[in-house]
Amino acid sequence: MSKRTETKAGTVSRRAFLGGGATVVAMFALDAAPGSKMARAIAANLPVDTSGGPVNGWILVNADNSVSIAFGGAEMGQGILTGLAQAAAEELMVAWSQVRTQVAPTSQSYITGGSFGIRANFLKMRIAGAQAREVLLAAAAATWGIDASACSVSDGVITNTVTSATLTYAQVAKAASALTPSASPTLTDASKFRMVGRSMARLDLPSKVDGSAVFGIDVRVPGMLYAAVKNCPTIGGTLARTPATPAGAIAVVPLGNAVAVVASNTWAAFKAASSLSVAWTIPTAAAQLTTSTISAQAQTLMATGTAGSPAAERVGDAPGAYGTAVTRIESTYQLPYLPHVCMEVLNCTASVTPTSCEVWVPTQAASWVQATAMAITGLPASAVTVHPTLLGGGLGRKIEQDYVSQAIKVSKAVGKPVKLTWRREEDLSHDQYRPMGLVRVRLGADSGGRLTSIATRTVAPSPLAQRGWMAPTGNDNVEGAEGLPYAAANRLVEYVKHPAAVPVGFWRSVGNSINCFAVESALDELAVALKQDPLAYRRSLLAGDPRTLAVLDRAAADIGWNTAPAKGVARGIALSNGFGSIVALAVEVSQPTAGVMKVNRVACAVDCGLAVNPGQVESQMQGGIIQGIGTAFWGQTTFAKGVASSRNFSNTRMLLMKETPSITVSILQSGLESLGGIGEVAVPPTAPALANAWFKLTGARLRSLPFFPGANRMDD
Amino acid sequence: MTAMKYNVNGSTYQFDADPGMPLLWVIRDIIGLTGTKYGCGVEICKACTVWIDGSPEKSCDMNASEGVGRKITTIEGLSATPVGVRLQNAFIDCQAPQCGYCQSGMLMAAAKLVTSNSKPSDAQIDSALGNICACGTYPRVKQAIKKATGQPT
Ligand code: FES
Ligand code: FES
Repeated sequence: MSKRTETKAGTVSRRAFLGGGATVVAMFALDAAPGSKMARAIAANLPVDTSGGPVNGWILVNADNSVSIAFGGAEMGQGILTGLAQAAAEELMVAWSQVRTQVAPTSQSYITGGSFGIRANFLKMRIAGAQAREVLLAAAAATWGIDASACSVSDGVITNTVTSATLTYAQVAKAASALTPSASPTLTDASKFRMVGRSMARLDLPSKVDGSAVFGIDVRVPGMLYAAVKNCPTIGGTLARTPATPAGAIAVVPLGNAVAVVASNTWAAFKAASSLSVAWTIPTAAAQLTTSTISAQAQTLMATGTAGSPAAERVGDAPGAYGTAVTRIESTYQLPYLPHVCMEVLNCTASVTPTSCEVWVPTQAASWVQATAMAITGLPASAVTVHPTLLGGGLGRKIEQDYVSQAIKVSKAVGKPVKLTWRREEDLSHDQYRPMGLVRVRLGADSGGRLTSIATRTVAPSPLAQRGWMAPTGNDNVEGAEGLPYAAANRLVEYVKHPAAVPVGFWRSVGNSINCFAVESALDELAVALKQDPLAYRRSLLAGDPRTLAVLDRAAADIGWNTAPAKGVARGIALSNGFGSIVALAVEVSQPTAGVMKVNRVACAVDCGLAVNPGQVESQMQGGIIQGIGTAFWGQTTFAKGVASSRNFSNTRMLLMKETPSITVSILQSGLESLGGIGEVAVPPTAPALANAWFKLTGARLRSLPFFPGANRMDD
Repeated sequence: MTAMKYNVNGSTYQFDADPGMPLLWVIRDIIGLTGTKYGCGVEICKACTVWIDGSPEKSCDMNASEGVGRKITTIEGLSATPVGVRLQNAFIDCQAPQCGYCQSGMLMAAAKLVTSNSKPSDAQIDSALGNICACGTYPRVKQAIKKATGQPT
C-alpha cells in the first residue's frame, strides 16, 4: 500500500489509494510465507508466547492454542477488526473464543477509508487463514506419517481420523511454520460458512466498557511531556514571530501555521495555549474566505464555469433531450462545509531521538504516518515505528497528517516524548472539512412520464485537487451523481472545481453525501410534477435493476408505504448506491411545533452483498442515519475572512438519544460476489429522505443544508 | 501547587496539583486513569462523567480541590459494583459501543440511573443519558439498559 502511494501519488484516484487492488491482496498472503521477512517481522512485533509460532505473516498460534490474527487497519468503531478476524478464523477453523488480534507492522497495514476494509482484505484474510490451516494440518499429518486428507480439524484441534489421536494447533505450530503454504489454498465454500455471516461478538468491546481501551489520547509514555496547539485562526495565516514561553509552560515550539505549547500536563498546556497572545501574518486572500463570497462564487461557476473534461459521465445527449422533454425539473441544491466531529479530538504522541522515532497515534493511515515521520526526521523507515491505537472515531479526518507532523516536530524540538492534543475548539475550527457544494439537477421526462434525461452539475472544492491528485472529471466530487441506477437514455455528469482555499478532506461518504441529496430530492420533485407517487416513480425507473429494486421495496414495505400514515405524519424515501452497496431509507416525520422537524421512524434496507457480520451492518446503518439526521438538521461550518465559525458543541449540535427515532434495518444479501462497504453508505440517503418527507408534510421543499441552521446551539 | 489526597475507586492517591486544574485532568494525567474521557471541556458532551459520592458529575466541570475528601468512582471502578457489571455485560450482549470513546460516560450515567430506578422507561433513559455519541450508538445503549433491567427490548 505505501509503495503504491509513494510512486503514484500524482496520478491515482483516492479509490486506488484506499482500495488496494487484486495484486496487493494476493501479495500480502504470499509475501507472508513462513520464514519470510514479513513473517519474521510480525513475529518480532507481536508480543506473544513464542512456544507456539507464526504460521504465516498474518496468523500466530499461541501456546494456549489461541490464535492471534494480525490486523493492519484502523478500528474506529466500524467493527473491521472483528470482520477481518472472522474471515481468517473461518478458514482457520478455530472457535471464536480462541481468537485474539494483534496490530500488524506498518508494512502490512492498509489505508482505512472508502469503506474498503472488507472489500480489499476479506479474501486476503481468508487466504491467510486457509494457508495456516493447511500447513498446520500438513505438520500434524507428517507427525503421524499419514496423508493430510486423513486429518480433520475442529476448534484448532486436529484429529487423526485413522487412530483418533489428536494434536492441537499449538503442538504443531513450530513444525508448520517451516512449511511453505500453497499460493492457492482451498477455501471454505460460502455455503458452509460458520462464522462469516454471523454476528460474532466484537473483539474490542470488552475493553470499551471498563475503561481499559487505549485510544491515542490515552497513550502514556515514560517521561513524556504534554503539548497543546494554537493553530492560526485564519486559514493561510502564519506565525509572525515565536511568542515567549508563558508562565506554567515548559516550551513554545513554532510550527509555521501554528504554535505548540509544551507543559507538564494536558490542562496546563491547554491553558497556556489558549491564553497565548500570538502575532500572525494574515494573507490578504483570507478576506475572500467568507461564506457569502464562497457561495456567490459557486453561483457564478454554476452559471459560467468550465466543467472538467471529459465529463465524468456522458451518455447520449442529455441537454438535447432535456430541451425537448415534456416535463422538466431544474433545481439547485446547496450544501455547507461540514466538520467531522470525532469524539476523540486529534492527538498524537511522538518520541524522537537522533536515531529513532516512535509514534503512537489514532490514524487511518499508519504507512502515511511513517512517511511523515521519515520526512521530518530524515530517518529511514527501519528507524521509525508507528503504533496505531484504537480511534475514538475517524470519519475520514484521521487519515490526515497535520496533527501527526505537529507532534513529531514538537518532540524533535524538545528532545523528549510528547503527547500533543488539540482542544475541541481547535479540532472543530481547523478541520479539513467536507466541501461545500452547489449542485444543479436537470431532469426531463417524456409524455409518458419516462425519464429521458438526467444531468447534474456539481460545483465544489476538491479534496483531491487541494492535494495535487486531481483527476480531470472531479472524481470523488461526482460520487452519488455518476452511475445512478435509474433508467435514462441521456445522462451527463459534470463537475466544476471551486477554488476556495478552505481546507477540505474526506468526510464519511465523500461526494455521495453531497450529490445524493441533490439527485434524490430532484427525483422527488419530478415525481411530484408528474403527479406520481415517489416510490412508484422510482420503481418504474428501476425495472432493469432487480437488486436495487429489491432494496427499495424492502424499505418501503418496512415503513408500510402502502398504508396511510398517522395524522400529522408524512413519509419520504431515498436511495443511494455507493461503495458497492445499496441503501434505501424510508422515513416518517412530523412537525410537533411550527418549523420543527421530528423524525418518528426510519426503515433502512441495505444490500452489501454478503453481510460478514450482520450485527455490525445494523450498527453502521443506525450510526450513519443518526449522523445523517444531525448533520442534515444543523451541521455546518461557516467562514468569516478565513476564520471558521465552529467552536465547540455549544455551536456544533449533535443528535441526542432523546431525538433519535426508532430505526429498523433489513439486510438483503445478494452474495459474496457483490461484497460492498458499509461504513459510509447510510449517511447519503438520510438528508434527502427527510427533505422529501418534509415536503410531503408541509409543501415546503428543503433545498439547502442544514435545514435548521439557526437551531445549532446545544445548550439552548 | 497544592498537596492533595484523593479517594478514587477505593484507592488513595497523594499528589501535588494546581487547585484550579479540572478534575478530569487530575484523573487522566496525574492519577493516570484514562478511561474517563475528554470530549469538550465545556460541560456539554458528558464523556467525562464520573461519580462523586455516588452521583454522576461532569469531571471537566469540577476543579481539583473539589475532589478532595470525596469518594470518586470512575469507569475503572464500575466493575466493582453489581449494577456496573450488569450494565457492562448488557452493553456487550447488545454490542452497543462502536468507537467506544463516549461509552465510559454512557455507562457511568446509565449505572447511576439503574441504581436509583430499577425499571427506567424510555423517557427516563433519554433524560438521564444526554451524553453525545458521534457514532450513534443510542438505540443499542438504550436496548442494553433495558436488557440490564430485565425489560423487554
Ligand atoms: S468533557 Fe466534560 S462534558 Fe465534555
Ligand atoms: S461509541 Fe463512538 S462516540 Fe459513542
